[in-house]
Amino acid sequence: MDKKYGVYICKGCGIGESLDIEALGDVAKEEGLGVKTHDILCGKDGIDLLKKEIADGVNALSICACSRRVMFDVFRFDGCIVDRVNLREGVAWSHPRSEFPALTEEEKEDEDKFDRVQMMAEDYLKMSMARLEKVDLPEPFKLDSLSNKILIIGGGVAGLTAAEDIAKAGYEVTLVEKEDALGGKAATWRKQLPLEDPYETLIAPMVQDKIQAVESNARITVKTNTVVARIAGQPGDFTVTLKKPGEKIEFDVPFPLPDEMKVDEKGKELDVEKLHEKYLEYNEGRQDILQTDPNGEKYGAVVLAAGWRPDEPVAEELAHLGFGTIEDVITNTKFEEIAAAGKIVRPSDGKAAQSVVFIQSPGKGDDDADFDYAGSVTSLVALKQAKYVREDYTDGKAYVFYQHMRTPGLNENFYKSAQQDPGIFMTKGDVISVAKNGGGLVVEADNTLLGEKVQVKADMVVLGTGMVPVTKDEPVVNLAYRQGPAFRDNALFDEYADSNFICFPYETQRTGIYACGAVRRSMTVEETIEDAAGAALKAIQAIESSSRGIAVHPRSGDMTYPDFFFQRCTQCKRCTEECPFGALDDDEKGTPKPNPTRCRRCGTCMGACPERIIGFADYNIDSIGSQVKAIGVPSEDDYDEPPLRILGLVCENDAYPALDILAMNKLSYSADVRLIPVRCLGSVNVIWIKDALSQGMDGVFLLGCKHGDDYQCHFVKGSELAEIRMKKIGDALASLALEEERVAQFQIAIDEYDKAPEIINKFVEEVEELGPNPFKGF
Amino acid sequence: MAEAKILEPDVGFVKEVVGLGGETLKKCFQCATCSVACKISPENKPYPRKEMIAASWGLKDQLVNNADIWLCHNCGDCTTLCPRGAAPGDVLGAVRAYAISEYATPKVMGKMVNDPKSLPLLLGIPAVLILVVGLLFNIVGLDWLNFNPVGDQLWGDDYIANYMVDIIMVPTFFAAIGVFALGLKRFIGDMHANALADGKTAKATIDPRGFVQALIKVAPTIMKHNQFSDCGENKERATAHMMVLFGFIALFIVTGCFFFAEWVLHIDGPYRQINPVKWLGNVGGIALIIGTGLMIANRMKKTDQLSSYKDWYLLGLVMGLGVTGMLTEMIRLGGMYDLMAVIYYVHLILVWALFAYTPYSKLAHLVYRTAAMAYNEYAERK
Repeated sequence: MDKKYGVYICKGCGIGESLDIEALGDVAKEEGLGVKTHDILCGKDGIDLLKKEIADGVNALSICACSRRVMFDVFRFDGCIVDRVNLREGVAWSHPRSEFPALTEEEKEDEDKFDRVQMMAEDYLKMSMARLEKVDLPEPFKLDSLSNKILIIGGGVAGLTAAEDIAKAGYEVTLVEKEDALGGKAATWRKQLPLEDPYETLIAPMVQDKIQAVESNARITVKTNTVVARIAGQPGDFTVTLKKPGEKIEFDVPFPLPDEMKVDEKGKELDVEKLHEKYLEYNEGRQDILQTDPNGEKYGAVVLAAGWRPDEPVAEELAHLGFGTIEDVITNTKFEEIAAAGKIVRPSDGKAAQSVVFIQSPGKGDDDADFDYAGSVTSLVALKQAKYVREDYTDGKAYVFYQHMRTPGLNENFYKSAQQDPGIFMTKGDVISVAKNGGGLVVEADNTLLGEKVQVKADMVVLGTGMVPVTKDEPVVNLAYRQGPAFRDNALFDEYADSNFICFPYETQRTGIYACGAVRRSMTVEETIEDAAGAALKAIQAIESSSRGIAVHPRSGDMTYPDFFFQRCTQCKRCTEECPFGALDDDEKGTPKPNPTRCRRCGTCMGACPERIIGFADYNIDSIGSQVKAIGVPSEDDYDEPPLRILGLVCENDAYPALDILAMNKLSYSADVRLIPVRCLGSVNVIWIKDALSQGMDGVFLLGCKHGDDYQCHFVKGSELAEIRMKKIGDALASLALEEERVAQFQIAIDEYDKAPEIINKFVEEVEELGPNPFKGF
Repeated sequence: MAEAKILEPDVGFVKEVVGLGGETLKKCFQCATCSVACKISPENKPYPRKEMIAASWGLKDQLVNNADIWLCHNCGDCTTLCPRGAAPGDVLGAVRAYAISEYATPKVMGKMVNDPKSLPLLLGIPAVLILVVGLLFNIVGLDWLNFNPVGDQLWGDDYIANYMVDIIMVPTFFAAIGVFALGLKRFIGDMHANALADGKTAKATIDPRGFVQALIKVAPTIMKHNQFSDCGENKERATAHMMVLFGFIALFIVTGCFFFAEWVLHIDGPYRQINPVKWLGNVGGIALIIGTGLMIANRMKKTDQLSSYKDWYLLGLVMGLGVTGMLTEMIRLGGMYDLMAVIYYVHLILVWALFAYTPYSKLAHLVYRTAAMAYNEYAERK
């Protein structure tokens, strides 16, 4: 496109008072660009000005006003490239004149004096102009063929609800269930937890109603006794092969080589051809992932509602509870089976179990942990089952020993109703042992609310064991993705199909696959119904976004996608391997095959690529590199004591907003840093750092999300990958005779804005101690 | 560490305590706000949090014989502060009611006194008793029940002879004392066993002399209502309770004096209004009415605290006693003798009920609480 540039400077919100607007405008004028200033650019008058400019042909606008995070809709002009120069939060507010005084008239005369804040604003404008020059308007990626159908894996409450909801929204659904009948676990219970106010009484299981509704719905095709052999392709255009459970077919998904098979006897990594050979050998009889099943069914998105299986505790670990040795010590699942079959009787002799102890935590007093995979559901199930005992026997007694009684939300009412029962007795406490006592059992507990050591007699003991997501045992989704058929790094989520601890429910680590129900987190029927609706909507969103060529999540609506300049690709496979979402499938030579609708546009591939052949229309190696180069680096030729120049590459998801919040809270940080927002630290290519240092900047820092076990990265792995790359950059710096300490990475959460000044200023001080970059002025 | 205690929850006990006004007891979730609020909670044994879970687990044996439940004067602080509406004060009240019926023999009486359906029967007994005894005396020629006495200045004695009243009341009174004595013996023994088991006392046995000394020591506390004055929520109850207690004491003295006058000195009533004993009687009667009136008003005002049948039974009885007593006197002075006779008859019914049913009613607290307070003084509760 032919670009016609325009620079628009707002003087409102304190910008005009803080900066020399005329001098700032001169920066653009020197480049031959038109400059307009306005008192309140976001006001009607200001917008009219911009609209008039656009009507006059301007299509690349540098709007020097507030942060890009505010007024984004006001300053959005379709068909134009808009770059926002953050003068308000990024310069004026975060560098108040009380701390960073402007030059007096006298000082202005002195050539050795400079105004740090004005310099900062001028640099940001220069960077903006450089960026406008390098970026293009994105064009959407369009799939050749698009399917509007949605596949649901799992026919329990979650799958049935999702099917109904999706059908209601007007989409075709296929529901596959590996068992012979629909209903899942919910069909096996005696009663179900309440679904509505007042949340006090158990209700009859309602899954049969759902089954009927689904079976009679014309938009829903039900396939029982069916599992997924493979899901190939990408959102909007998945090709799915279904099969009977246990069947072996050629379109069973191939598995990637395990690490130990990737090396030769000496532990040396095999070359590409050898690897491929081994891979074929390993997956004998299975078609490669890139081989499309001609008989496969087309789907646009997938809802994973495969549910859970009861945890099977290891008997030896629970010896103190008599599990595995005493027949009347059973799990809650077994108890539910007994309850569903009739009156509650003991497994050992079929006699009435009138006194039942429910144990929620096996800790023995060593710790207060509950059973594995237990949570609020197991607490509620204990209460439910305690009520069964009371239902069956007028004089029945149900004891609940717990460390945690979790009854979230209005389930509190259910807890209260159980508590209100004269025959239900609850206490916190460490269960020490379960032992045989005559014809019955005796449970001993310590540190209870009733006293130090107590015993109760029981006919039966029930352990509150947890709900294991089926994704722990097998991939289930069987994706024909180069990274493998399962979700990667799922151990981080205890094998639940999830992608973030805090945000983004339903999102798995694979775009277009949305999880709901107990496969995502142990949840009640009530929660599952709500969850299924969420996943259903996400699946629809994925299809609709794919059809428009925009990103689904988390950069919803982003029209850009990574573009590869394949001529220069060296088949290093880094992009394929590092993509947190498995968006790339390389062929037998190792050349990556992009699947743009799988992509979340984080740019991790761009950061990974040593050849720098990956980029987005508005975000690429050159656009950021040019911004880095636009930063003025004063040397001793300019001033007696030139200021430092430090580049900060800041994650736009959490760190950049934190810096805006910092400014709103009247905090400040060094005026010698220049910040560039990046999509994710994973997208940071080391070339930018090398560029910055080789042009004389004194230091570079990366500011991004926390990573590790409780990571906050929007793209799962970005900040972690960046850290690995930063560690490796040390050698490169050494070869330039630069100190490693000039490059650093810091973690910050969005709410830790108050810590940002210290982080930045401390780094500036450290760099100051190292002294100026020796390359300065070259 | 001590041997593990085997807990045997009694579902029936839970239901009974609920029926006695402890319907909130299962709401407790053991946060111990009550123990923080309670002035008599010991350092390391959260009270009444422990009692609350024992009650909701139906651990009867840890409660009915526990002296601590009697230390509570239901000041109401815990009930007001309880975040779950579990009303520990009311629950302890209900447990005390249960304990009273547990220690009084026969137990069926305790059940009846706490059951509103039995009230007509309970009041019917003295009503019939007085008539039957009177008619029996009439048969043997003693004119102790006279439906139509003649004279200018009549009084109760002319309708229902004082001798007959005493013949009925005195044995009833001593029977009640007997029931109390039996109950107390068990109660004190159990209380001590419980304290020993819980490590609340260092004393191995109960020395009767020490116990009596302790009783003497706590007497002023009881008389001065110190425990009430410490109360936050129900402070104003002290005045009312004091009026009722001292009203009763006054009337007890008056009754004793006139009993002495009648049986020993053979001085017949009605006594003159300038008689100082009569003054004391009048003051006592008025105190009783005002005190009870205040208590009723208090209970009506405090909607957050529960008032159950056992409370209303006692308040009604005492109010009835005071009102019928005073009315009898006033109507007699007014000269409406037949009406007076009817009200006097009602008064006698209530007096009998007071004597006979005290060991089974809430009023029994005057014995058990006193004993528990004396025991705690003696045992040096910790």
